[in-house]
Amino acid sequence: MHIALVITTVLIGGAMLLTLNKPSAQNGPPAGGNVTIVGGQQIIDITAKGGYIPRTSTAKAGIPTILRFHTSGTFDCSSYIRIPSMGLSKNLPSTGTVDIPVDAKAGPLIGMCGMGMYPFQVNFQS
Amino acid sequence: MHCTACILLTESELMDAEGVSRAKPSLTTHTVEVCGDFGDRTKEDICRKLSQRLEKHGYSLSVEKLQQEKNWSEFSIALPIAIGFAVLFVLLQKLGIVNLINTSTVSYGTAFMIGVIASLSTCMAVVGGLVLSMSATFAREGDKVRPQILFHTGRTVSFFILGGVIGALGSAFTLGATGTFVLGLLVGLVMLILGINLLDVFPWAKRFQPAMPKFLGKHALGVSELNHWLTPLLVGVATFFLPCGFTQAMQLYSLTTGSFLAGGLTMFSFALGTLPVLALIGFSSFSIKNSAKAGIFFKSAGLIVILFALFNITNSLVVIGVIPPVFNF
Repeated sequence: MHIALVITTVLIGGAMLLTLNKPSAQNGPPAGGNVTIVGGQQIIDITAKGGYIPRTSTAKAGIPTILRFHTSGTFDCSSYIRIPSMGLSKNLPSTGTVDIPVDAKAGPLIGMCGMGMYPFQVNFQS
Repeated sequence: MHCTACILLTESELMDAEGVSRAKPSLTTHTVEVCGDFGDRTKEDICRKLSQRLEKHGYSLSVEKLQQEKNWSEFSIALPIAIGFAVLFVLLQKLGIVNLINTSTVSYGTAFMIGVIASLSTCMAVVGGLVLSMSATFAREGDKVRPQILFHTGRTVSFFILGGVIGALGSAFTLGATGTFVLGLLVGLVMLILGINLLDVFPWAKRFQPAMPKFLGKHALGVSELNHWLTPLLVGVATFFLPCGFTQAMQLYSLTTGSFLAGGLTMFSFALGTLPVLALIGFSSFSIKNSAKAGIFFKSAGLIVILFALFNITNSLVVIGVIPPVFNF
């Protein structure tokens, strides 16, 4: 029982120490807002690693739009995108970029990871 | 009943009773199983007759388990333990342990480390919750070590074989959104019932128990014996398909390896990485052997399992789009 406690403490303590000293994902969206319009197409950049950053984005409604997911050594739940309203389930590579075209109708678009505990939202405004 | 002497006394006293062929008291559960030929008499009638024999020693029998004041007081310790565990769980997620992985190539060593982190992540709510509910339920029947060894054997072996198959075929077994939802909800509900029964304060919940693999069914010894072998083994195999982001990501990686051995070893290393934490969760039930603290352990375990079950059920409903996202770790 004591051994069990020691092992637990070491595992959890070790994980915490490492976490505190490491910065989170670097492969983020470009600086100055995560929504850009290039050649008539709206691009919403979202970093997927241990959740989605930014969690809430604001974008224009009614123009061709893609969600661009960036991953970097992502092995957790956020590598599996789920958007229930579109019936979409998609796996992301552990490192890379994936574009998902979405219907930019006015209102919120809610998505989450495959297990449901990391949400993200895009508010489309007309 | 408090000690082994009580066991011996009640056992010998009951064995002497008319019609009884076998009596097996248990200190952990405060129950006694009685087998014998009693003719047409009802359970209650037999119980009254046998109870008379024990009264002179200060014991009494009842068909339904007695709810004593003491049982509820165990919550005063069990509740803080469960809350402490839940806080630790949330804290681990909030600290972002999943960000520890900063690699794009997966060696077997990395797969092992990803396994360790996965077992501390929200996957603990699914697989860890299942291990805790299963080992505590079996432990209450006095079967502690074997179910856990079988579970981990089933898990590691199936991860190697299925990982190998994925690697060789180059395609993953994905269940799809509906399949994942059904499986996730089912696991959540089974855990909820097991958790409520571990609390041992709601006798009505017992009736749902046999609807699942007969955890408590001892009507036929053969069936029960088979059940004690097969259930943990199959649950171990099934964890390959349970909703856990890390497992899915590792499966995706395995299919890119293009070989049976590489795919199999990757998934095997991952499963080995999850083993220490899962084993600790399961082995916690070892500490309760014939201990007066058994009630506290089962109640703490029950509360934790219920919390995990509610977490899983909520998330399943979120993923299918029935309710908006609730948690954000």
